[in-house]
Amino acid sequence: MTTFTRRRLLKSGAMAGTALALGGFPRLVNAQGAPLNVTAFGGVWEQAVRDCFVAPFQAKTGATATVSLGGPPQWLAQVEANPEKPPVDVLIMTPDLALTAAKAGLMDDFTVEKLPNLAQIPQVFTDSVIGKGTVFDYGVAGITYNKETVAEPPKSFAEFVDRVADGEFIASLPSIAYAVTPIMLIWAMAEALGGGVDNVDPFFDAVARMKDNLVFWGGPNDFFNHLASGEAELGIYFDGRTWNHYDEGATWMGFINPEEGGSLNAVAVQKPVNANPLAWDYLNEVLDAENQTKFAEIMNYGVTNEEVVYSEKLKPRITPWQNAAFPPYEQIAEVRNEWVDRWNREIGM
Amino acid sequence: MRARSLTDLVLLVFVVLFFVFMLAPILIVVLISFTSASFAAFPIPGWSLRWFARIFEYQPFIDALLVSFTLAIVATLLSCVIGIPASLYLARARAGWANAVSTFLLSPLSMPMIVIGFASLFFLSQIGIGVSFTALVITHTVVCLPYVLRTVTAVYRSIPPSYEEAARILGASPLVTFREVTLPLIRSGIAAGCLFSFLTSFDNLPVSYFFGSSQTNTLPVVMLSYMEHQFDPSIAALSTLQLLLAVGALIVADRVYGIHKMTVAT
Repeated sequence: MTTFTRRRLLKSGAMAGTALALGGFPRLVNAQGAPLNVTAFGGVWEQAVRDCFVAPFQAKTGATATVSLGGPPQWLAQVEANPEKPPVDVLIMTPDLALTAAKAGLMDDFTVEKLPNLAQIPQVFTDSVIGKGTVFDYGVAGITYNKETVAEPPKSFAEFVDRVADGEFIASLPSIAYAVTPIMLIWAMAEALGGGVDNVDPFFDAVARMKDNLVFWGGPNDFFNHLASGEAELGIYFDGRTWNHYDEGATWMGFINPEEGGSLNAVAVQKPVNANPLAWDYLNEVLDAENQTKFAEIMNYGVTNEEVVYSEKLKPRITPWQNAAFPPYEQIAEVRNEWVDRWNREIGM
Repeated sequence: MRARSLTDLVLLVFVVLFFVFMLAPILIVVLISFTSASFAAFPIPGWSLRWFARIFEYQPFIDALLVSFTLAIVATLLSCVIGIPASLYLARARAGWANAVSTFLLSPLSMPMIVIGFASLFFLSQIGIGVSFTALVITHTVVCLPYVLRTVTAVYRSIPPSYEEAARILGASPLVTFREVTLPLIRSGIAAGCLFSFLTSFDNLPVSYFFGSSQTNTLPVVMLSYMEHQFDPSIAALSTLQLLLAVGALIVADRVYGIHKMTVAT
């Protein structure tokens, strides 16, 4: 009899749990589809998206937009799992994931008919994601250094490698755990040292020369800590992030775009197929010159609308995209796994 | 005698070094949360509570905190509703399939959380639940259930079956036996399971990550997104508050039930 009671308890518990889980929280269930759901990274990014893009979109259309915080792999997985009813209407993406999504047929084509402001975006940015999205914001990965310990920073990748290999500096490089390392470091340095997407030997040879004087960062905050603690004196990092640190009080930091051109690390926007059509109105605001100018002022990063005029403060900080090395994102995506494998075997960090 | 003193000394030094190694990074995070600087660096240049204030100024932190609290409580309750009856049955069951069911229910402990999150996203989307709070509750319950199951089973197995049999012989109904005999005896196991379950859900990132939306982002998801693009020490302040919450929960649990009793497994 006791056994029967426990069995009943087990059964009723499981049933109650299932019932509660499936239907007990209707008010908390995400109401998909009603407001436009756009995406942003956390912190200052989110505030900039709200102020520069969401506010004008809401003012012009009278619609509301909610902002989902997170990251591109998360949003892409959500769209892949729900292609008929995507939970996000506008995606902020890294170029490699944007290409993956575009090739999978998950994203809509960007045209001037749908997005009038697209006419002011250089075609190369739309072509880089095969027309299913475009780049609206970018950073350049160059040489960030501690001005208190590096009086004369290297002016080029080649000089950087020579002086680090000679033991003049300890350098902090992004580890392979960081998503864009294949672009900002492997391809950029290989290209600068005479190789390219088909030949990254110059990069691996350079790391082998520098290996005794290197530390690696797993996330951008690690890099800052390496420089702040004196563990490294310089390294490969982004211009915008460097200036953000500078504005927050780390005035000992400096940035140089190497002579060969640091890699352009783009942020693309895309609209999933079947997403809310209001997304086009929002995306048009994202590509608007005035809104992008405001966004650049907050973020310290370059934007892509050709009509944007940077302020006197921002102008010397922004690396024009023409002075950066434009990565062949599509080809890099094809060989990325080989590079990661080689990195793991030869560098291991 | 001298050899034993030396052994004790070496052991003492080892234990002290071990605790320093374990606790020093946490202590540094706590200290950085009180920094007056705009960036995370150690040693800190001065003392300030501004980063704790920042937590309450930044609305996504507050929204995510509420989601995390609600989710952890609901997932813990559901884990108890499902896990306690299951434990009571499986702890004494002799059938071979009971062992298989027990292993199945405990299997989330041995699976990578990111696999559970990714697979759940696709499965729940296929059956129409999609990215929602309901989906979060289901996946968190799956993840939390083993903690309740394990602790309650361990405590229940340590109780001789004769206690319940005596109650039944003396005329108590199954429900009265459960309420008056079994429940008081397994209470420490339930408390321990609830504590672990709540903290597991509250800190979970890999599963919650796949179900994040403007309405369902949990605190760890927002913290990760914030940390990748913001450099101020508010994450350290938030970590300090989370640490206080965990320590506070353990102290309360110790005062009410005793940590020792809660962790005894026979």
